[in-house]
Amino acid sequence: MNRLLPAFILLAICVFFDGCGRPYAPSPPTTGDIYRPVYASYADIRTVQTLAPQPLKNVGKIYIKDKYLFINDVGSGIHVMDNSDPEKPVQLAFIAILGNQELAIKDSILYADNVTDLVALNIANPLNVRLVKRIENAFEYSTYPIATNVRFECPDPNKGAVIRWEKAAIENPMCYR
Amino acid sequence: MRSIISSILVLCLLTACSSASSSDAPSPGSGTGGSTARFTVSGNTLYTVSNTALQAYDISSSSDPKKGNKTILGFGVETIFPYQNNLFIGTQTGMYIYDINQPNAPKSVGIYTHILSCDPVVVQGNYAYVTLRSGTNCRNQSVTTNSLDVIDISNLANPKLLRSYPMTNPRGLGADSTLLFVGEGDYGLRVMDISDPTNVRELNYFYDTKTYDVIPAKKLLIVTGPKGIFEYSYADLKQLKLLSTIPVQP
Repeated sequence: MNRLLPAFILLAICVFFDGCGRPYAPSPPTTGDIYRPVYASYADIRTVQTLAPQPLKNVGKIYIKDKYLFINDVGSGIHVMDNSDPEKPVQLAFIAILGNQELAIKDSILYADNVTDLVALNIANPLNVRLVKRIENAFEYSTYPIATNVRFECPDPNKGAVIRWEKAAIENPMCYR
Repeated sequence: MRSIISSILVLCLLTACSSASSSDAPSPGSGTGGSTARFTVSGNTLYTVSNTALQAYDISSSSDPKKGNKTILGFGVETIFPYQNNLFIGTQTGMYIYDINQPNAPKSVGIYTHILSCDPVVVQGNYAYVTLRSGTNCRNQSVTTNSLDVIDISNLANPKLLRSYPMTNPRGLGADSTLLFVGEGDYGLRVMDISDPTNVRELNYFYDTKTYDVIPAKKLLIVTGPKGIFEYSYADLKQLKLLSTIPVQP
């Protein structure tokens, strides 16, 4: 016992003087929103199509170029509007690009993210958009939803590519951030 | 006893803290994005930001983009805004300024750090305008600040906070000449007069115009929000005029 006492005092002193704030990992949240990944097969994600105008669902980024207004629909593609008359914008087409969230344009080429790839699309004729180049694996596989303090079903790359995250009622999701 | 004291000293040393640590630049042929964009074109280069890095693509031949250099930035990278020969990158810890005179080799010139929050940035003249927002999509839940920070960037290497103005829940923003439009999310849209950046004044507040991001150009303001796209004329500053609506379908 006499031998243990100094050791105990030592420990107590060290604990007492250790005033450092360390970044401990937060404990798993037990409340908060729950998300699950929405998958698409790796074969499907690499198809870019020009479709007839579609209703707006989940408005994301916007971009203007000349008379056109481009509206991203989160995770699914880009609405192309003729905005020559801002009082009467006309929906021309929908470019279906799975996983899409971002866009930028130079000349008649639109650059967009397509899940993990960067695609370059010729939009000279918005009714017939053509894929001119695909750079594979330009972006990382989505491993978590953007929101924080949430729980979610862990993504499984074997199930396909994550094109977006949706809220869902899941029992005991194993991942969180 | 001496050995005990020296052990205490050694142990205390061992447990000591470790001090861890739309732009004015016309890019011919490119268009204009909102302030929350993560892709942008400057000259013959496309820049994209991921959560941690800045990636350049050479688009001298626009239909044949070529992957260029990747610049590691840190974490929590959110937005990218080109202005003249610089990129202004909004992150959750601050605003990074990169010189892109050599487009494939962005060079860090200055950093403006602030508390953790969400923050797009736009630049006009010698000033950068950054919104700081608390909320669920931000990393740090303890942040309760909501503000518009005006940063003097006349010396890019040493950006200085000029003034901070309280906001409700600011998101995207856009500047046109003496006007600054600030999207307040579910709390509407503010129109600010920035002719004197030391004394930014609110000209108008449209509570019903729920706004995520804006693009102002040539008296036309394009607004994105939870209900869809709204186009306004700001020819008359006193009263935005709604021109059209593209609603979200339920």
